[in-house]
Amino acid sequence: MTDVTREAPQQRNGHVETSHHPRKDDRRQDKGYYDIPPIKEHTWTWEVPVYFWLGGIGSGAHVVTTIARMCGNKDLAFLRAGRYITLVAMMLSPVLLIMDLGRPERFYNMLRIVKWRSPMSMGTWGLTLFANLSGLAAASQAARDGLLGRENFLARSFAALPDRLLSILAAPFGVFVGAYTGVLIALTSTPIWARNAVLMGPLFLTSAMSTGLSAISFVLNLGGWGERKTLESLQKAERASLLLEMGLIAASLLRMGRWGKPLRSGKLGAAFFGGTVAGGVLAPLALLQGRESRGRGILASLLVLAGGYILRRAILEAGKHSARDPEATFTFAWQENLPLRDENV
Amino acid sequence: MATGFLTDTTVCIGCKACEVACKQWNQLPADGYELTGDSYDNTKTLSGTTWRHVAFIENPKKKRLTGDVDLVALAEDVREQLPGGAELDALGRWAFMSDVCKHCVEAPCQQACPTGSIIRNEFDNVFIQPDICNGCGYCIPACPYGVITRVPEDGRAFKCTLCYDRQKDGLEPACAKACPTESIMFGEVEELERRAEQRVQELHDRGYTSAFVYGTPEVGGTGGIGGNHSKFILMDEPETYNLPRHPFLPQEKLNQASAASIAAAAVLGAVVAWAFRG
Repeated sequence: MTDVTREAPQQRNGHVETSHHPRKDDRRQDKGYYDIPPIKEHTWTWEVPVYFWLGGIGSGAHVVTTIARMCGNKDLAFLRAGRYITLVAMMLSPVLLIMDLGRPERFYNMLRIVKWRSPMSMGTWGLTLFANLSGLAAASQAARDGLLGRENFLARSFAALPDRLLSILAAPFGVFVGAYTGVLIALTSTPIWARNAVLMGPLFLTSAMSTGLSAISFVLNLGGWGERKTLESLQKAERASLLLEMGLIAASLLRMGRWGKPLRSGKLGAAFFGGTVAGGVLAPLALLQGRESRGRGILASLLVLAGGYILRRAILEAGKHSARDPEATFTFAWQENLPLRDENV
Repeated sequence: MATGFLTDTTVCIGCKACEVACKQWNQLPADGYELTGDSYDNTKTLSGTTWRHVAFIENPKKKRLTGDVDLVALAEDVREQLPGGAELDALGRWAFMSDVCKHCVEAPCQQACPTGSIIRNEFDNVFIQPDICNGCGYCIPACPYGVITRVPEDGRAFKCTLCYDRQKDGLEPACAKACPTESIMFGEVEELERRAEQRVQELHDRGYTSAFVYGTPEVGGTGGIGGNHSKFILMDEPETYNLPRHPFLPQEKLNQASAASIAAAAVLGAVVAWAFRG
């Protein structure tokens, strides 16, 4: 037993220390109930962070190519890269989401209702619309590229689709798919997410943009495709979105305050700061300075893509840690919602 | 008509009859046999397979006990002998509380549910329709009380139904029926509110001034939840019973979060347009 005279008991985090309740019984606390978490952590498995990441890539790639086309970019290789990346991402996304359900065979129940207040319901509809519209644009592209064969009915019909209009129609839903995942987790009782509710959507959307840009420039650089001017514009956009992402990460960490601890400490903190902040944002930013170069471009793109995945994964993991910490829940539920009168407490 | 529970923890004797009755009536599987060492509580928490949970709280009051306690002196005169001014009350009291789904007035789980499986039924109870739920798991982190979990063997989410089936037949829920001390009361919410206030007043008159009703908008249910249809009479801070003091409705922030995302989209769109201009 420690010398109790030296330290004021209040400074001991409130642990009870008596002869019959020795101090090693750490679960006895002033507050809470045997350290059992008062809320439950999410139970989403690996499919969900992979979807958050892929959905973001598809969203970013589509939105970038659409805006670039509207600004007069006529690079066909760039357009193809954007459309096919989006197509692949949007084909895998629903599969991942259905796999994660407790009852995958009932996935269609998501489509029996439209619920404005539920980000998951709106996400289902947003994803459905975006995947179909961007998928038609990609099919039209494939038909024009001769991937569907020539002179058959299917190829002719897809080639006749108004691809530009489809891309423009899909763009707002693309933006939605990039952002809603952040809002979805923010609107829960998990302290670290709920605390950062306002910045979660912007952070995920910005990461969607940077990973989408990187996916396109990775493909173009790897294949040696694309016009010089496009690659330069891509690099510029990548730099700008990475700067914004850095700013949003910093603002989120500040906003999270004491509830952001899971993201700042331990293995998770190391993965987040090493993989996302340093590896996925700062290192690519440094690599993308100066003149456009193929090798550095490829490396930077890979780093951004990996960093984007680690960001989603780390934030989802941090949510578990946060929910496991009773103190976080109690203090958060208290401070966020100060009552009009604090009676009986 | 809105029905609900009033759980008066001051008369709970920790018999766990409610837990057992709930399991029996609802045919819930056993949870295995973990012995926690946390007093008499081996259930630990509410879950998809445990819809009533009796908490055993030893030494509910805040304590400032340090050093070796002289038990003889303790028995003779507590306040003078104990360093740090601990109270006898703190050592002697043992509290029980039968926890259950709070059936929030504005239920976060119901708002989160993307399939519309979670509804308010004709008794104004929050009910998960098991034939609709596809196990997306979104209600689990949405719940501010940690009531819901997904049952791995089944894949769907479950929680207290407030014995919807029994209520339809005019019966009270199994837990309330089994409770031997009327700690668990079932009835119309307005009636329960009256009884709760009356009981708290009675406790105050007898000197137990710490008693209060948890689940009214003032205490528990600020931040948009608007109170609970399962109310509790507590004698201690809500945290002692593992309840958040001021639970909040997560969806309250939907508009802010959406507006911020739209603003971010505008900025990013402008950035991409700038990079690709001309």
